[in-house]
Amino acid sequence: MILIPARDEAGSIVQVIIESRRQWGQVPIVVIDDGSRDGTRAAAVAAGAVLLPLPLHLGAWGAMQTGLRYAQRQGWDLAVTLDADGQHDPADIAALIAPILAGEADVVIGACPPRVSWARRLAWRYFRALSGIGLEDLTSGFRTYNRAAIDRLALPDATLLDYQDVGVLLILRHQGLRIREVPVTMRERNHGKSRVFNSWLTVVRYMLRTSVLILAGIGGNRHTSR
Amino acid sequence: MTYQLTSLVIGIALAATILTLVRRAHLHGPHALWWLVLAAGIILLGIWPRLTDLIAPYLGVGYPPIVAVLLGLGLMLVKMMSMDLQRSRQEQRIRRLAQRLAMLEAELATVREKPSSDLDSSTKD
Repeated sequence: MILIPARDEAGSIVQVIIESRRQWGQVPIVVIDDGSRDGTRAAAVAAGAVLLPLPLHLGAWGAMQTGLRYAQRQGWDLAVTLDADGQHDPADIAALIAPILAGEADVVIGACPPRVSWARRLAWRYFRALSGIGLEDLTSGFRTYNRAAIDRLALPDATLLDYQDVGVLLILRHQGLRIREVPVTMRERNHGKSRVFNSWLTVVRYMLRTSVLILAGIGGNRHTSR
Repeated sequence: MTYQLTSLVIGIALAATILTLVRRAHLHGPHALWWLVLAAGIILLGIWPRLTDLIAPYLGVGYPPIVAVLLGLGLMLVKMMSMDLQRSRQEQRIRRLAQRLAMLEAELATVREKPSSDLDSSTKD
């Protein structure tokens, strides 16, 4: 199942859906609409995607988790997540699925570190040091999850996360799931801006919140949080 | 007017307000209990202000009247913490509810797209 969280991406969503279908004709393409106000919903439906219309704005991870829960509900063993802005090339999905099909990984991340700014690189270096996660690209939304990863991330204790990056990776790691990175090329964003790194205030808030998650050891004790 | 009376009036007024709010269904279960216990504490300290003099030595507090103030502040912090806990739990529930609604809407759309004969046979049976 191909999951595409979207918020105000009417300008690029159709292209992403068409390209995904060209590569993976039979697989359902699901657009999770996180409260768009620009016709994203209509565009997604017209392009033949399944639409999950969120009644409230839940943020990038909230939309992503909705997609994962839907994949779980529909009984899919494999979920691919793509950004709606067209920066991920659906042609790379095959490379992302391969390690899971081969049983070598539970989660595969399409990584492209060189695209990011120095500030983001510095932030990631800090998070890598603090959390001990040895991955290059912590925020990439281009991922594939197998059944075990989908089941884990669909649980309620992952619902209060705000971003799909460090917190999600920590939960996966605590569960003992294997995360693998595969280098992919990112295209220029057709449309829109990064959700995380768009203003300094947001950056500071994001850095602090994520640090707290790491210090608290999120995902370490799921029994009490259920 | 003595401070005992002031405290007594505040405590009784608080208790009466809580009970009214519960009766009108503006305040529910555990919250109402918390505030009633607080009102009882205020009344108790109003009637018997020497209570803090008795407690203070056990807590190592040299100036007994501050015990009431510290107790109030401490309870306020506990109350605020529990409010944030509850808000987080509610936020989690609201988010999952929103997710579920989105999933159900998608499933509803799929059902509607199906030929009506499928639906007819399933509803008649």
